[in-house]
Amino acid sequence: MTPSAATSVGALERPLLRPPPRNRMVVAVLALMGVFVALYLLAHSMGLIPLVCGVWSCDTVQSSQWAKVGQVPVPLIGVAGYGSLLVLALLGIQPFWKDSRGIGLLMLGLATVGVAYTAFLTYLEAAVIQAWCVWCVTSAVLMTLIFLASLPEVGRAVQRR
Amino acid sequence: MKACVRLFHKPGVGRVSKKNRERKYGSGEVASGGAETTKFYWILGAVAVLGVGIVGYSVGSKALSPTVSEPIEMAGLDDPDELMQVARGVMKGDPNAPITIIEFADFQCPGCGGFATQVGPLLDAEFVETGKAKFLYYDFPLVSMHNHAFLAARASHCAEDQEKFWPYHDILYRTQPRWSTVQNPASLFEDYAEDLGLNEDEFSGCLKSDRHADVVTANMQLGYQLQIQGTPTIMVTKGQGVGRRVTATLEGIREGIALLQSGE
Repeated sequence: MTPSAATSVGALERPLLRPPPRNRMVVAVLALMGVFVALYLLAHSMGLIPLVCGVWSCDTVQSSQWAKVGQVPVPLIGVAGYGSLLVLALLGIQPFWKDSRGIGLLMLGLATVGVAYTAFLTYLEAAVIQAWCVWCVTSAVLMTLIFLASLPEVGRAVQRR
Repeated sequence: MKACVRLFHKPGVGRVSKKNRERKYGSGEVASGGAETTKFYWILGAVAVLGVGIVGYSVGSKALSPTVSEPIEMAGLDDPDELMQVARGVMKGDPNAPITIIEFADFQCPGCGGFATQVGPLLDAEFVETGKAKFLYYDFPLVSMHNHAFLAARASHCAEDQEKFWPYHDILYRTQPRWSTVQNPASLFEDYAEDLGLNEDEFSGCLKSDRHADVVTANMQLGYQLQIQGTPTIMVTKGQGVGRRVTATLEGIREGIALLQSGE
């Protein structure tokens, strides 16, 4: 391969051969973890399993009035939220979608809603229920990481304008 | 890479629309970022397998666990005769004592714990050990509030199988704050049995089964039929008479017994 050929091929290759955005891969892995954490909490709220909780107060949190929104258990909202993020992130790394600004911004929007809701739930644990559930804290950490991993979508969207 | 070079040296490739180019060369892109993508899918797969394993194991092991920790379905308990054949209290004292003190209690109820540890020894000294009264204990686990109460009641009957109901009853109430707050108290219940010198295999076999679930369920049903609303509920009775409810204090029980003895 001559240097000139390499240069011209490199220039052409860059947009096409670029690997899928890493941040979306990270979001997909974190969202899948979140799906399982939420499923675990959902199974408990349905009375299927006890929670492994150690010295934390999972039962106090899970049996509080805040564990449901109307008739909907909060973990079910978690499964839906993490599941949607997982689907968006997986779509966003497919060759056809990897440059899609829409998917990236949708993912970021959902992550923003998720992190805001998680912050509210964490506030409830700290100030209202005054008890901590290790799985809720795990979920809060995961959602925060998802939000942080989604932030590069802003730069990507601005860059492509 | 060689194949890619040839592809991009095709004349006219720059004029292909973006959509067509992606459709045409999409697989080439995946091959290029392949190592990273493959690694990603491996990690995703590992997380999926781990997650399915943990959640599946948790649900499956609970479903397959033979340990019964909640009331069971029993036909015929609405019939008083049938109910009285299954419901059974545990007695302490002289069976021929004229007065019977009856307690409906829940091992996970703090009030019952207070009654057992503070009033119980005084009652024993004044009425049970002197032969004035016998004491009859019925299970009434408040399962909607106390998640381990039913299992604790079953554990006490497993200890009764080895003639250690009352020591086990005392130990359960003394340690109530500890086992009430753990996720699964079965291993603590086994430890207490071991502390009392019970046959461990026999106790564990009993605990990890449905044994005595029928008695505990029937005792609960008896409590419902007597319109018991909370625990501890104490009644005193003379002979086959109807129980008189009294306050769960030494004074309350003394008064109730005095009224029974005076024929009121």
